Formats: sequence, structure tokens, C-alpha cells
Amino acid sequence: MSAIPLSHILILASILFSIGFVGVISRKNTLFILMSLEVMLNAVGVAFIGAGSAWHQADGQVMFILILTLAAAEVAVGLALLIQMQRRFKSLDIDLLSKLKG
Amino acid sequence: MTLLMIHSISPLLIVAFGIVLSLLLIAWRRSQKLILAFTLTIFVCAMLASISLMMNLTDAMQVTILMKVDNYGNFAFILILAASLAVGLLSTAWLTHSVEVHDEFFILLQLVVLGAGILVMSDHFASLFLGFELLSIALVGMVGYSRDSQYSVESSFKYLILSATASSFMLLGIAFIYSQSGSLSFATDLLSSNEVSPVISLFHHAGVLLFLIGVAFKLSLAPFHFWTPDVYQGAPTSVTLLLATVSKVAMFVVLMKFWFSQPSLFIQPIVSNGNTLSTFNFMSIFAILSMLVGNTLALKQQNIKRLLAYSSIAHMGYLLIVLMVLSPQSVVLAWQSALFYLSAYVLATVSLFMVLQLTQNNSCNTELNVDDWQGLFWQKRSLAMLVIVAVLSLAGIPLTMGFIGKFYLLNVAFYAQQWWLIAALIIGSGIALVYYLGIIFALFNTSSIDQHNGNYRPLKLKPLVNASVVTLVAFGVALGLYPELLSQIFINF
Repeated sequence: MSAIPLSHILILASILFSIGFVGVISRKNTLFILMSLEVMLNAVGVAFIGAGSAWHQADGQVMFILILTLAAAEVAVGLALLIQMQRRFKSLDIDLLSKLKG
Repeated sequence: MTLLMIHSISPLLIVAFGIVLSLLLIAWRRSQKLILAFTLTIFVCAMLASISLMMNLTDAMQVTILMKVDNYGNFAFILILAASLAVGLLSTAWLTHSVEVHDEFFILLQLVVLGAGILVMSDHFASLFLGFELLSIALVGMVGYSRDSQYSVESSFKYLILSATASSFMLLGIAFIYSQSGSLSFATDLLSSNEVSPVISLFHHAGVLLFLIGVAFKLSLAPFHFWTPDVYQGAPTSVTLLLATVSKVAMFVVLMKFWFSQPSLFIQPIVSNGNTLSTFNFMSIFAILSMLVGNTLALKQQNIKRLLAYSSIAHMGYLLIVLMVLSPQSVVLAWQSALFYLSAYVLATVSLFMVLQLTQNNSCNTELNVDDWQGLFWQKRSLAMLVIVAVLSLAGIPLTMGFIGKFYLLNVAFYAQQWWLIAALIIGSGIALVYYLGIIFALFNTSSIDQHNGNYRPLKLKPLVNASVVTLVAFGVALGLYPELLSQIFINF
């Protein structure tokens, strides 16, 4: 079995990360923004696991588990806010959240 | 884990244990007075533990690979605890407005403090990440805490998305750094060894840059500052105070720990291959931009919270100067300057937000403008004095703490020969005088007193509140006149 070079994994992770980031800045629906955030975090997870296996260490996988926990916590808070928003504005359009200016 | 190690992280353990106990306490009896008293007790206990630790600790101590307890981190934790005590006290004034029992607020507050405490003592990317997320997720909850307020959803959503984006950037940076260095500790310095291939150093540099971008988001440095004013304005006042002090202090201290543990980042070697310089230059660009953008945008602000948001951007820009050191010998001076400046900043910010909260309670108006403070001096001398001392200190007028802090920064910049930064610091402070003095002029303005009398009840302060106002004024004046009181502490570190 030929090993996949580390740089390929890192490039894959960067591409996934960019896809997620573009999603965060260009999506209108807040639900999709939260999903794009998940994509970004999971891209980082790919990078960590790749790096960990290249160094034959468990650190990368430990970090991935920490990231999973973070993602769960973040989505929990995010969905709570989403429900608040739906209740108040009857819509999930991010452009409604632009009252603060100056 | 020896007993000594447990002793050296005792402040963190007290806070962590306090969170569990508070949850049990809520299960036993839901009372806001009880949980407030309990939270404040925990903070005071943790503060006493840190102070006793600071006296006994002579050298930096590694507690497992995750944490490194030193006196700089310890002092920062004391600052954080002091600021959160103020937050706890101020929030009671605001939370009594509605009928519910607000015990979650205090749990979240303790979680923020725990996260900040882990950050200032971390020496490893895993603990940095844990502290960072404890801090930011709990803060998202606090920013949107007052559900009924007009802006709560908007500001907490903005904060959530931006802090999640920032932490993904930071994590990708950490992953890149880890992929090249094979270790998650801060101290591994890959670039100092000579046999790095160009590809490795490319990914490593990308990693460091992404990490710094993530930190810059949280510190609201100039190109990444857009969330700051909106979140500051939309959050409840005491939470804004938390954002302005605790999260800034913790992030800055951890940034310094990371930066100074990698000599190749900041020491400009003459033989360097251009890349090393770029990280250094990036930080100076962030600093100069923050100083100029923050101060310029603050000029046209009327809302006090937004004004303070922009001024905090500028202050973080000033603080970045301490990262610009050229030799390991000046690291000690850099730490002293940073801690002094942070203390001055925290004291002034706490003072201003205290006045803001008190006047806000009085006028039942959540959107206070500078105009609403007009004639405050003729209504309530002690509050006006507090504002004056704090604003002068933020502006850096001589005989205040802020002046000494800026002097320290100038000192560091001179040693590092960063003339552009010095120029930006001076220009920024000059611009800042315009809006800081505007606040002071408003305090003395008599013209509008008559028309305000209608909706201004006379400001009546409880004796305890009055005492704390006077104490803050005394602190501000005393430390401005005798800065040695504070700097003596740092010299022994």
C-alpha cells in the first residue's frame, strides 16, 4: 500500500475548509450557515487526523474528538438562537439581522 | 500529579468545583441572592488562592504538558477575577428588572471565568482550544441573555457565527502547525532548526498566520473588527463589560504566551529568509490598522457602548506593540508593559461600565448616548469623577495609569526600533483625545439640565454602590500617582 503524502491531506482539508467558509459568507439562510460552519470544523478534523497518522500519534484523534464536542455544543447554542429567530421574525433570513448599525 | 502541582492550579480548581456546587445549589433552592453570593464567594476564594500562589511561586511551573503556571498568568487571572466580580455585582442591578430567577446567568459567568483561567495558564494547543471554547460558547449564551431585548438575537447570532468562524480558522492553523511539528505544545520551535524544507515551512507559516487570524478575530483587531460594535451594543451592559475585559485579557495573555515561546517568530534574524519577517510585519500591520481604524471610527459615535467598542479596538492595537521585541532579554519588559497596560485598561473599562449601568438603571433607557451624560457632574459628583478618571486614563493623560501604560509601550517600541508603530500610537492617541474629551465636556455641560429634569429621577445610589464608586476613583488616582505600587509587583516575577 502506498501511503498518501501528508501535503495531499492538508490540501484536501484546505479545500473543504474554503467550501465551508464560502458557505458561511454567502448563504442567506441561517440554518445553512450553521451547516457550513460544521463543514469548516470537519475539514479541520480531516487535517488533524491526517497529521496525527503521519506522526503515528494519538494527539490528532484526541483533538478531533474535542472538535466534535465543540461542534455539538456550538450547534446546540446555534439552534436555540435559530428557534428564537424563527419565533420572532417568522423567517430564517440572515438579512433580517441587520438592525444594529452606526 | 504532585501536591505542588495541585496547589499551583488551585485557583482553577476552585472555580471548576464552584460550578458543580452551584449546579447542586440550584437543584436545592432557586434563589438569585443565594447564587449571587455563592458566585462572588467563589471568585473571592479563587482570587485569594491566586494571590497566595503568586507570593509563593518563584519560577514557572509546568503542570502536566497542558498547563504552565507562572506569575504572569497568575496576575492576569487575578485581573480576570476582579473584572468578573464587577460583572457579577453590576448584573444584579440589571437582573432584578424581571421576575424570573436568573441562576443560569451566574453559571455562565463562572464558565467564562474558568475558560479564561484555562487560557491564561495554557501551554498546549489542546488546553488553549478548550479554554477558548468554554469562554466563547458561554459568552454567546450571555450576549443573548435578555431574550426580550430588541437586539439580543441579532447580536448573539453575529457573535456565534464570528466566534465559530474564528475558532475554525484557529483550529486549521493549529492542525497545520501540528502537521509540520508533530507536537501540540507551544514551545516546539520548528523554524529555528535549519534543515526545514520549503514546503514544510510554507504550511507552518500558513498555520501560524491562520492561528493569528483566529486570535485577531477574538481580540477584534482591525481587519477583523466588524462584529465588535454591534455585539457590544446589543449585549446587556454587564456582559459587554465581560467581553471588553475578561475575554480580551485572556486572549491577549495566551497570544503572548504563544508568541514568546517561539523565538523564531519575533526575533528578526539577519540571516532570515523573508518568511520570518512576514509574521512580524503582519502583526505590525494589524496593530497600526487597529489604532487608526478604531480611533477614527470612534469619532462619529454617539452611543457610549459603540464608542467604547471602537476605543477597545484601538487599545488592543496599542497593546500589540509589546509583541514587537527583538531579543529574549526584552521579553520580561514586554510582559511587564502588557500587564500594566491591561490593568489600566481593565480598571478604566470597569469604571466606565459601572457608571453606564448605574445611569442606565436610572433612566430606564438601554441605549445611552454621550448626550445622556450631560450635566452628570452637577447631579452626582462621585459618578462624574469616576468617569473623568477613567476617561483620562484611557486617553493616556499624564498622572493617570493609562499614561504610564503608554509610556511602557513606547519604551518597548523604542527598544525594538518600530518607528511606524510609535508614529501610529501618537497619531491614534491624538485622534482619541477628541472623543474622550467630548465625553468630559458633556459631563460639565449645564445647558441641557433643565430639559432633562423631566425624565431624570435624581440619582440615588445605595451606600454600598457609592462606596465601590469611591474605591474605584481612589484606585484610579492612587495607581496613577504611584504606579510603583503596581510595577513593584511585576519586578519580582
